[in-house]
Amino acid sequence: MSNLHDLLAYEVVAGINGGLFSAEEYVNSILKRIEDVESKLHSFITLDSEGALSAAKKIDRKIKEKEDTGELAGITVGIKDNISTKNIRTTCASKILEDYVPSYDATVIKHLKKNGAIILGKLNLDEFGMGSTTEYSRYQPTHNPWNLDYVPGGSSGGSGAAVAARECTVSLGSDTGGSIRCPASFCSVVGLKPTYGRVSRYGLISYANSLEQIGPICRSVRDLVMMVNIISGKDEMDNTSIPSSPITLNNKLGKLNVAIIKELITGSDHEVSRTIYSASEKFKEIGCTCDEISIKNLHYALPSYYTLASAEASSNLARYDNIRYGFDLPVEEYKWDTYFSKVRENFGEEVKRRILIGSYVLSSGYYSKYYLKARRLRSLLRLELLTLFKKYDLLIGPTMPIPPFKFGEKIDDPIKMYLVDINTVIANLAGIPAISLPVGFSNGLPIGLQIMAAPFEEQKLIDASYDLENSINIQRRTNAI
Amino acid sequence: MISKEELEYLAQISKINLNENESRKFPKQLDKTIEYIDILEELASDDSVILDLQEMKIEELRDDVVRMSGGKQISKNITEDGFLRGPKMK
Repeated sequence: MSNLHDLLAYEVVAGINGGLFSAEEYVNSILKRIEDVESKLHSFITLDSEGALSAAKKIDRKIKEKEDTGELAGITVGIKDNISTKNIRTTCASKILEDYVPSYDATVIKHLKKNGAIILGKLNLDEFGMGSTTEYSRYQPTHNPWNLDYVPGGSSGGSGAAVAARECTVSLGSDTGGSIRCPASFCSVVGLKPTYGRVSRYGLISYANSLEQIGPICRSVRDLVMMVNIISGKDEMDNTSIPSSPITLNNKLGKLNVAIIKELITGSDHEVSRTIYSASEKFKEIGCTCDEISIKNLHYALPSYYTLASAEASSNLARYDNIRYGFDLPVEEYKWDTYFSKVRENFGEEVKRRILIGSYVLSSGYYSKYYLKARRLRSLLRLELLTLFKKYDLLIGPTMPIPPFKFGEKIDDPIKMYLVDINTVIANLAGIPAISLPVGFSNGLPIGLQIMAAPFEEQKLIDASYDLENSINIQRRTNAI
Repeated sequence: MISKEELEYLAQISKINLNENESRKFPKQLDKTIEYIDILEELASDDSVILDLQEMKIEELRDDVVRMSGGKQISKNITEDGFLRGPKMK
């Protein structure tokens, strides 16, 4: 048998339930793997080895007593550190929450635990999810397991890197403008941003409520299906959640109408475009039609996204006043406003920039010029996409316009950094599901294909991804670590 | 160009102190961002566009029932009397 830490989620569940190895042995192999590679990667902010081992022993006891262990029995899940975990510190990679220990579990965490999954620890991100590289984490950046000199993508960079490096079986990320799909693409793993409403956001520490969703990052489409079915569902604690049908894993892809989004290809790096065209040929080989189409409102999408996301961030982050959440800074000797401004010095530069932009676009005189127009664009874009989905089952393009880049390349120019998200924000603005699937490499650095579908049509995304995954048969293991 | 005064005003309404480095860097960076989102001006101000595509009816909301947190200490700023300690009002 290969190293236990190399196993995919469904193999782990089968192995533990079939008595091939115990949950404790499996968790120990994962902890050993972390010990070996974590000093090079920095995927984790908090590792809960003790909690993970104790959960594993509980599963082993259940198996011995022939009790139900759950569909995810024994798999280890890394959690992005902006998802609340009871009794495990949840920092959002921010100084402002460095001591915050939630008193409750997010709904997704409850679902995972109920189904036998083991919460392994909390993974690195750009502070509050604002960034595309993890360089904005207030701890330290995570490194790309395919080449340690390069960024892993973000903001869920820890979630992408840890799965690719086999430091955990699967992970959860959150996606506000591409934060699951970007690291999935840069780390050569599969990442899904579900339809807005499929997964409860209760316990996800908000950055831009109307855009964000929690989703899984995995090393195979089969693992992804297991995860998404467990975390989906209507939740009375999140009124935007909607009931949805479970996804199945089908062996045969029906004849689908696929369209490549021209603007996403023309704006991309040459090697990226070439790899995406070659993946689109696979669709034709399996009997799908593949047209090339244009989206009229596309060039307004990114400015609209940054307007809305910053506006929502400035409102959401107003709660960090050091009274309800925070660190040691006595309130005596301070006046009301000066205390809050002093405390909020502790936000990082990118968070401050976005709060300031948010305050700007919401202030009188600019509200209708920016904020209302951005909302109007959002509606137009969604309507345009819904019309396209009457004709096409899937829209495809590169997840990222460029392959992973080196640390420091874009950090001093916020616009350069924002442009990295140009292909992914579409799905968040429109509330539609989108997946990133590994389809190739450029000079040893991963390239991901983005597939989008109509709201709640995740089944079509999975059917197409499963088929492509089998036919492309990409290199799965990185030799860089 | 965002002036020093405008930046100070934005920082004040956002309740954020900026350090020297940020005060020097931010005007140019924020300017570039605002210049980038200025493209939204090209969009027609057509009021017929529905802004909210997902409407929620009041009857779809769950009942507003108070649930206690079990009396656990959820913040270290809570005093023994159960109050939150805050700074002085001006």
